[in-house]
Formats: sequence, C-alpha cells, structure tokens
Amino acid sequence: MTLLEFARGPALQVAMIIFVLGATWRFFGALLLPWRLVPAEPRKGAPSPIAAAFKGVVVKMWPHKPFQKAGMFTFVNGYILHFGLAIVVFLFAPHILFIKGLTGLSWPALPSNLVYTVGVITMASLVAGLVHRLRSPVLRLISRFDDYLSWLLTLLPVLTGLLAAAHLGARYETLLAVHILSICAFLIWFPFGKLMHAFMFVFSRAMTGVRMGQRGAEL
Amino acid sequence: MPQEPKLAPTLGELLQERGVSRRAFLKYASYLSAVMALPAGSATALAEGLANARRQSVIWLSFQECTGCTESLTRSFSPTLESLIFDLISLDYHHTLQAASGEAAEKAREAAMAENKGKYVVVVDGAVPTKDGGLYSTIAGVSNLDMLKATAKDALAVIAVGTCAAFGGIPKARPNPTGAAAIDEIITDKPIINIPGCPPIPEAMAGVVSYLVSFGKLPELDHLRRPKAFFGETIHDRCYRRPFYERGLFAEGFDDAGARQGWCLYKVGCKGPVTYNACATLKWNGGVSFPIQSGHGCLGCSEPDFWDQGGFYRPLSTNLREMGPALAGAALAGAALGAGAAWASRRHQESYQRDQSAAEGDKK
Amino acid sequence: MMTQTLHASIPQEPPRLTGMSDAVFAEVAARLAEVVAGASAPPIELTAMPLTSEDRADLEQRLGRGEVFATIESAGRSEVWETQFSGVWFVRHFGENDRTASECIEFGAAPAILFSHRADMAAAARRLATALQPANAHETTDH
Ligand code: SF4
Repeated sequence: MTLLEFARGPALQVAMIIFVLGATWRFFGALLLPWRLVPAEPRKGAPSPIAAAFKGVVVKMWPHKPFQKAGMFTFVNGYILHFGLAIVVFLFAPHILFIKGLTGLSWPALPSNLVYTVGVITMASLVAGLVHRLRSPVLRLISRFDDYLSWLLTLLPVLTGLLAAAHLGARYETLLAVHILSICAFLIWFPFGKLMHAFMFVFSRAMTGVRMGQRGAEL
Repeated sequence: MPQEPKLAPTLGELLQERGVSRRAFLKYASYLSAVMALPAGSATALAEGLANARRQSVIWLSFQECTGCTESLTRSFSPTLESLIFDLISLDYHHTLQAASGEAAEKAREAAMAENKGKYVVVVDGAVPTKDGGLYSTIAGVSNLDMLKATAKDALAVIAVGTCAAFGGIPKARPNPTGAAAIDEIITDKPIINIPGCPPIPEAMAGVVSYLVSFGKLPELDHLRRPKAFFGETIHDRCYRRPFYERGLFAEGFDDAGARQGWCLYKVGCKGPVTYNACATLKWNGGVSFPIQSGHGCLGCSEPDFWDQGGFYRPLSTNLREMGPALAGAALAGAALGAGAAWASRRHQESYQRDQSAAEGDKK
Repeated sequence: MMTQTLHASIPQEPPRLTGMSDAVFAEVAARLAEVVAGASAPPIELTAMPLTSEDRADLEQRLGRGEVFATIESAGRSEVWETQFSGVWFVRHFGENDRTASECIEFGAAPAILFSHRADMAAAARRLATALQPANAHETTDH
C-alpha cells in the first residue's frame, strides 16, 4: 500500500469516524444540558430570550467601541483567516469533489489559481495570528497547549495543500498524501479541542446573549 | 547455430554491410537523446557508442501477460528510424515472435544463455504467479518462477517491461488469486529496470536498450526503478489541458459542453496528477495522440496497483473506502454518548441542587 | 485522413504564443555569438521543449531560410537548412508517416549530419578499390 492509498483509504476513514463520533458526542452532550441556567427572575424590560440570543450572536461579530482599537487586529485578522479557510476548503474543485463523493452535494468552484492566492493569504493570516498571540503577554498567559495544537493542525493542511498545488518539496503523490494525512490529524483533534468552536460558537454566543439579556446587561 | 567469431562485428560494421551509414546512427541518436532529454550535444557520443557497440543478446520471457506489451513494441516500429532498435539487439528468445517452438525454442534460450553468460539482458513482460509453487503459469512444463530465476541468474540486467512485470499489474489486482508478483520482488541480486505502462511507451523501451548498449550502464532510475528520462514527470505536469485545470474549468462528463471544449478531465477521474509517464510528450501511435487528447482521463497505468485505486472514473481527491454506514453509525453512537453525558450531568446537577436546598433547609 | 477528422472533433491545445519562441531566439543569438568568438556551442534541442505549434511556427519564421537546403535519406528522411543567419542550422528528422521525430538548431559551419563519417568513407574507399579491379569493372556497389 502506498502512502497515498493509506491516506485516501484507512487513514481518512478512521479520522472521519472519530470526527463524526466526537463532534456529535460533544454537540449533543452540550445541547441536551438544561437550558435554563439563570435561576433568577428576568429583569423588568428584559428582551425575550430569542431576541437576546440573536443579539448575542450578531453583536459579537464586531468589537465594542471601547475595545475597537485594541481588538481590531484580532477581528480583522480573524475574518481574513476564517473567510480564507472557508473559500479554500469549500470552493476548491478537488475539495468539492471530495464532499460530493461523501454527501452527493456539490456546487460551483472558484478558479484554482484564485484559491491558491487565497490559500497564501490564509496562511499569512494564521502566522500573523500566532505572532500576535506570542507578542501579547496577556494572550500568552491565557494560551494553552490546546490553542497551539489547534493552530498547528489548522496551518498544516493549508501549508501542505499549497505545497501540493505548487509541486514543492516532494513528489506530488507524496505531497497529496501528506496533505490528506494532515487533514486526518485535524479531523481527529477537532472534536476534542478548541476547533470545536466551529460548531459551538453560535450556541455559546446565544447563551451569553440570553444570560446577559435576562440580567438586563447591555451587550 | 553458427559459432560466433571471437570478436563479433560492431553494430556500425554490421549495419554498414546493409548499406546503413553512420548518418542513420546519428539521426537515431539525436532522436533518442531528444526523447530521453539527454544533455545537449550527447547525440554524437550516443551515436559513436552505438556504432562501436556489439549486438546485445536479449532473452525475452513472457509470463502472466496479455501480449499487449509485445504488440505495442513491435507494431510501433516502422521500417525507418525506429526499427533500428531491432538491429541493436539479437533477440535470441521470444516465444511469441520466434519461429521455433516447443523444445527447439527452449534449446535456443539455453544456448543463448550459455554463449553470453553474464552478458545477456533478460526482458520480462508479465507478472509471475508465486502461489502454490507457481503452478498457475508454466512454459514447457517449467513454472514461470523457476524459469525467471534460472534465466536471470547469469544475466547482465533485467528489464521488466509493462506494469505486470514491473509492479504485478492486473494479475496482482485484488484479490490476486495466483499470488502474482513483480519481477523485482523475486530477483533481488541483479540490476533491474522497470518500464511500466499498460502497455509501455515503445520509445521508452528503445531508449533504455540503446542507452544500455551504447553507454554500458543503466540510465538514471527513480525510486520505483523507472528511467527518469521517461518517468521523471507526471502526465499532469505536461498536459495540454493543464490551463483548464488551473482555471477550474472541468468536464463533468464525457459528452457535456466542457468535454466538447476540451476542459480538464480531473472530475471524470483523471489520474494524471499522480502518474509518471511520457504520454503527454511522446504520445502514442507515432505521435498521433494520447488518452487525454482523445478525451479520456489518464488511468494511471504506469503506477503500482493502478487497478485498485477506487475506480477509473473516481476523482483523485475522493476517499477510497465506503464511508456512509460507518459515519452514520459514528453519528448515532456520538449522539447516544452525548445524550448519556448530558443525562449524567443533569442527574448530578439535580442531586447537587437537592443537597443544596436540604442544606439551606437545615440552616433555617 | 481519418486522424484529422478525429482531431477536428476534439479540441487541441489552445492556439497561442507562450513567449518560448522569444526565449529560444535569444538563446540562438547567444550561442552563435559564442561560435563567432571561437568557442563551440551545443545544439538547441527543440523536440522535448514545451512549444505550442504557434511557438514553433513563429520560431521557424523568424529564423527564416538561407542559401542551403538539403534532404538526407538515411533511416527515413531528414531536412537540413541554413537559416537566414549564417552558421545557424535547422535540422529536422522525420520518422514514420512523415511525422517529425526530432528537431534541433545547430551552430557552426555545417551540422554534423551533413559530414561523411570516416567509417563510411573507409568503407567507400574499399568498395572503390574493389570496383577498380578488372574483374569487377562493372560492379560499383557491394550490396
Ligand atoms: S486532464 Fe488530467 S492530466 Fe490533464 S490537466 Fe486535467 S487532471 Fe491534469
């Protein structure tokens, strides 16, 4: 069995199973918890929980005025990173084919050259994020192993994907195999670390919105 | 068989008798150095080498194969330039091409082996069945396995022609009922050159033999023992549809608008990106076309186990194993685990709250 | 021809100039300059270069034709011509069906393929000697 066969075959299969199992486990484990976590009576004039939840999700999409200067880099860089990732993952023709093979769903792709460019920008933004994290004493203090591992496992697929596209560093079949294996590592870690925020951020923001809303706090 | 004189005539002398001048050598050499991408100016050296070399004794063994390789190699040579390859070698045994058969043929093989001990080249097409003592394929009562070992013992080098000989090929496809094996799994103490392909490109065969005859050494090989001159780049590297790949323009089927406009065949299963061969540059049938130019994706026939890569029409970026049921099972199991965890947590919260209110009640 | 009708239905490489002919043209100038300076310059091998048919046509047209054109019949046909630049030679070998088997640009007084090889001359001398013997007066060739 060649490395590529191993990557496309058993490695991907095991990684996907762990990913789905772990993600549904954490997802249901969190969502089936009691929802009413605010024992106190809502304040007078508090918004309805649904409105508060919605507000919680939306308002957090941009920094608060007082934090705008300090938080702007994180926000802008975060958007570049996340949109970049979404474009690379979901709008590159070979990736769509992979998803189509799994789910039967497909959609139009972007030109490969454009996706490569976005990939480079995404990587730059990942690196910038790390530099920012390491240079800020506060961020460094609150960063844990999880943060760094999640960062690395996000970077590797982008990096190996770009190398494969550019045929740089090794033969293409090896680069492709390494790219797929890096995705396997990403998928395996995903449910158990901070990467899970991709599924959970909506709910956690909504919960924050509801709690704050009931206490009458401005978001 | 006439006794060979002490010093056989050189190829130059041999062909001169037939009115072939050195210009023919130079022409052939320019052609070969072009297709093998030898350093600029090596044509003259190659031509001199060929003209001064002696005919190479070749014993050709055909095992578990379809004769497609022999077909490809013999059909492609017209009576002009490319046919020179057959003047460079003395094909002492080839049971498809030779006139003699049965015992006489086997005698010829043994005679050639004895005469050219340590100097003959063994060319093999076809895989070798190794299961059950190799009884699945025999020639004149001798198993392929035994014949290969015996013939390769005193050989200068072994050339495995075609994917079956090089990597096991179709006989080795799952579930490989005959235990088919590649030549280099059996012969481990001789220089081996693999020229895979189903069938291999004739120029590759001609180039390798000429190189061997003229320079007296093996050409540079890759990690799968393939000559880099022909297997150094992928089909995708040199594919004329590559601009469409980069622009994201893909045919979705074999007769849709994209296919008619010659778009990239990645989505219909082209394995060009991971296939090392020279089809895109040398092409087939005297340079007429190659599969992608004729509208079909590359099957990856010069790569190991090309038959077992999930299907010829399955895009390269898809997974190889069936995932649906396993993933559905994983989702159900995950949901059950999650529900269980949530339930345990609720119970814990409830009992905690009970304890709390009991404690508060005590205080009151 | 059958192959042509087939080709007509399947789009071939997009017709375009890639700039490769400019690069080769510049290289031709550099190598001829070396030869003029007294050095020797290896041929430029065109066969395996990623040239589109437009690139090839462009290059051939820019090199043009000079005073010499020769056809060689040896293991098939070959054509050799001096370009409009003295010392720059175009050599094209044909394989079966008049398909181009290889082509290159050579530099110098004449391309190697035009010269008679010593071995051939020696063989010819032997043949001539044989032909001169009275018994073989009418034989001019030995094969
Ligand atoms: S047709 Fe195949 S080899 Fe050609 S560009 Fe597309 S994927 Fe690559």
